[in-house]
Amino acid sequence: MPVIERGDVGHVRERLDSDFGTRLKDLRINHGHLDVIVQPHDLVELVTFLRDAPGLRFRFFTFLSGVDRSAFGPEDAEDKPHPLEVLIHLYSPDHVLHVTIHVPVDPADPVCPSINRVFAGALWHERETHEMFGIDFDGHPNLSNLYLPEDFEGRPLLKSFKLPSRMVKDWPGAKDPEEAAAGGR
Amino acid sequence: MAIDQQRVGDRTPVHDPAEIAKIVSGANLETEQMVLNVGPQHPATHGVFRLLATIDGEVLVDAQPIIGYMHRGYEKLVEARDYRQITNLVSRMDWLSGINNELPLHLCLEKLMEIEVPERAQYMRVVMLEMNRILNHLMFFASFGAELGAITPTFFAFREREDIQLALEMATGGRMHFGFFRPGGIREDVPRGFFAQALKGVRQVMARLDQYEDLLVGNEIFKQRTIDVGVLDKEIAYNYGVSGPIARGSGIDFDVRKDEPYLVYDRFDFEVQSAPNGDCFDRFWVLVREVVESAKIVEQAIEAMPSGPIMGKVPRVIQAPAGEVYVRTENPLGELGFYLISDGDRRPYRLKIRTPSYNNVSVLPHVLKGQMVADMIAILGSFFFVLGDIDR
Repeated sequence: MPVIERGDVGHVRERLDSDFGTRLKDLRINHGHLDVIVQPHDLVELVTFLRDAPGLRFRFFTFLSGVDRSAFGPEDAEDKPHPLEVLIHLYSPDHVLHVTIHVPVDPADPVCPSINRVFAGALWHERETHEMFGIDFDGHPNLSNLYLPEDFEGRPLLKSFKLPSRMVKDWPGAKDPEEAAAGGR
Repeated sequence: MAIDQQRVGDRTPVHDPAEIAKIVSGANLETEQMVLNVGPQHPATHGVFRLLATIDGEVLVDAQPIIGYMHRGYEKLVEARDYRQITNLVSRMDWLSGINNELPLHLCLEKLMEIEVPERAQYMRVVMLEMNRILNHLMFFASFGAELGAITPTFFAFREREDIQLALEMATGGRMHFGFFRPGGIREDVPRGFFAQALKGVRQVMARLDQYEDLLVGNEIFKQRTIDVGVLDKEIAYNYGVSGPIARGSGIDFDVRKDEPYLVYDRFDFEVQSAPNGDCFDRFWVLVREVVESAKIVEQAIEAMPSGPIMGKVPRVIQAPAGEVYVRTENPLGELGFYLISDGDRRPYRLKIRTPSYNNVSVLPHVLKGQMVADMIAILGSFFFVLGDIDR
């Protein structure tokens, strides 16, 4: 087994490239962290590999959440990002490495396999992501609300969910420096 | 007047002791599970936190933490505010370490906007972060003692806190929510007398800490209530993403300040404290020893404090270019991480806040299972969590 230098993120990219090959998209290094896009059906296999593979040992579970990218960038942009994804971050304490996993899910029927059998810490994170984004985690024992009351309607972190105060008055008001001249104060 | 023997107390046992011994040792003793609700208003929970405990006699069969009583929805609120406003929002997550919460947001912005922070501002940040860490740790030193029935540590800890608190107040005007960091530096330079006051505070703590440590760690009752109680295994800690003093009490010696130094932490001489057993005693011991390390950093930073500007070159409107970045820092309670997605606007497109207490508390059901009811308070107290940090 080759000796891995601390923080050698290029090594992780090579390992993933050879073991998962075409099943991963966009293996790019972003601010020193490896960014990976993986389809939902390969997710459990990938995180298990990352956790157990000698030389990688991404065994520290940092967080799991979601991102609604449907309002990202200008409306007429050519290459729109995938509208809804699950975002997972893992850390390797042994080799000081980070990996960020993006899992695109279908916004009409968002389902993603649960990784709680690999990382038990994901239990709460998946519940939170479920109530905030409406993403179902297949294999999760209990997806009841963690923060919100049981009768709460809507998925608050989706971009389609507007804050009531912002519906009345759009943000920003005219209190910004460059708009002050227009009499906004 | 003769004492009425019958009224004063008949000392003959109601039940025959031999009979009782027979019942107690009897194999057919049936117990029944019952659900015990702890909280949401309970002094041992430092806020509104509920624990649904299933107990069988004296043993906890299951314990489910119920959170969300303080949920304020920061991740949604920040999407409708610009970066200047977010500084003051996030400092209210973990209210015991306000200035530490401000840091990752600014590191995110400085990374995306490629702002260079002047040396003086970086050193100044370190001084304040570590002073806040001492405040936080002393608070938990006090509360853990109080939860185990010792009220004296509270008075000592609060006396020591006051000098450090005063120094921070001189510089920032606040005692809890400082709002002192700005993208590119700090709000203003510190007033005359700040360094003297800060040094006075930390030196006092350093001089007296051994004595305080003895007060609890050297106490027989304290030892009996904490040693081998609530053991958290190392692998479980990794698996749940437990960090901070709790992870270090389980034999994990990672510390973001050492592993991936941010600001100027690589220039200071300090040790990462860790202990191997993973019980309440070790978690507490790590917490107390970390105070000394922080005090050492404050001393060194003030000693080496460079002069110069306190703000880098920053555009008038803080507007991060499109991009994504994850920044993590060592908060007093563990790893605090901000995942910032910017689409080039003045407000974040999405800001995922990964707070230490959230992951740390999620491991509680695992740790509490099989423990005695009487140990529950000691275990809860040794997990050093702040409710605002869990609920966000």
